[in-house]
Amino acid sequence: MNPVSIIWKFLVTVYHRLGSPREFYQIAQYTTPIFGLLSLVLFVCGAYLGLFQAPADYQQGDSFRIIYVHVPAAWLSLFVYMVMATAAAIGIIWRMKMAFVVAICSAPLGAVFTALALITGSIWGKPIWGTWWTWDARLTSELILLFLYFGVMATYHAFEERKTAEKAMAMLAIIGVVIVPIIHYSVEWWSSLHQGATIFAEGGPRMPADMLTPLILMILSFMFFYGYALFLSAQNKVLLNERKSQWVKAAISAAEK
Amino acid sequence: MNTLLLYFKREWQLLFRNTGALIQPLVFFIIIALLFPFSLPAEITLLQKIGGGIIWVAAVLASLLSLENMFQSDYQDGTLEQAIIHQRSLEMAMLGKVLAHWSATGLFLTVFSPLLCLTFNIPSEQIWVLFFGLLLGTPSLTLIGAVGAAITVTLRRGGVLIAIIILPLYIPVLIFGAGMLSQSAQGLEITSQLYTLAAIFVLAITLAPFAIASALRATIN
Repeated sequence: MNPVSIIWKFLVTVYHRLGSPREFYQIAQYTTPIFGLLSLVLFVCGAYLGLFQAPADYQQGDSFRIIYVHVPAAWLSLFVYMVMATAAAIGIIWRMKMAFVVAICSAPLGAVFTALALITGSIWGKPIWGTWWTWDARLTSELILLFLYFGVMATYHAFEERKTAEKAMAMLAIIGVVIVPIIHYSVEWWSSLHQGATIFAEGGPRMPADMLTPLILMILSFMFFYGYALFLSAQNKVLLNERKSQWVKAAISAAEK
Repeated sequence: MNTLLLYFKREWQLLFRNTGALIQPLVFFIIIALLFPFSLPAEITLLQKIGGGIIWVAAVLASLLSLENMFQSDYQDGTLEQAIIHQRSLEMAMLGKVLAHWSATGLFLTVFSPLLCLTFNIPSEQIWVLFFGLLLGTPSLTLIGAVGAAITVTLRRGGVLIAIIILPLYIPVLIFGAGMLSQSAQGLEITSQLYTLAAIFVLAITLAPFAIASALRATIN
């Protein structure tokens, strides 16, 4: 057997195992603490390096340090949307139960990251730009993203029947993916006050290493935190959705003892 | 193509038998636009400057208002279920329906918009810019909105939900449509905005029918 087919087989097995709510629940029992622990360790390292070791910015002084919350949150706000939409597409195309659960549990998390990016951005903007809010391209598209998350959540909760709600929500998440780039480029139109790409800029990152390392640690920490929170809320959702099945009753009575 | 024409004709007949539904969005459009002069300081130059934007917002709200009954009555009397079961292409059928709906709302609004421009003292070159902007923009608004209407068709009170999920998606059309006016007010070229509006329209008319059809299939059992 060549390595490609071994990897493919492994992926198919993982996919099938994750597809069953019961297996998902059991896998999540192990992954949740691992993700939580990784997130915590990375957070402590990143926060220490970022707040105490990184030098102050020559223009912005110490106020630049909010970057270690702002950029990871903004990054995650987009990343979570992509995860949500991919999961929604998988759910619609292959009718995978767990994909809908992942998509639904991602929506509030994504909304929180988006709100966090907006709030920290506005706190950062006050001393540097001299204003809490400006109708700038990036700020506006982030705000619209927040409303897209609200729309997805509102759609899911508006339907009484779960299966219909899942499908309607997934449709909306997929439509959002088509429209997000259009929204992004349409708001790019106004001249931008926000700085351009710094990490993925042409010719390498435009940031010294001792500022960049904590930032990357923080981004990783945020990603693991998202994974942790996602698994936790997905576990909850699985228990709620499958509350009539035998294994859930067994698991609950085992937990009560 | 036959399916499209069939549904287009049917929708038109239904709309003309119920002229109230035909006129309501138009009246709503005019009233919304006329509310602004009352709430703003009475300066002719100010209205001249922001009048185009006001008319765009009014057009967006009016087409939003008309969305709720787009599929509602068809859903309630079972026509929509028959359309889903029937072997005719649901996508084409819904495209015909949506286009008929647009011609009864968006097109009407566009035709009446020059009249509103006169009350705002907008110069005549700009009236044309607004007219063509609305002509290109409102079909996209109706097509995008129809997707939201299809998702929420089974809900008894879907009106507010439609607004929440659809209004963020209207923003690009609004930016280019209203942006065209401020460009032309400064004497700049507007072809790029026109092309972008046209591109959004082409994208909407190709993708929206599929989205509408699959949303209907997903939510109606």
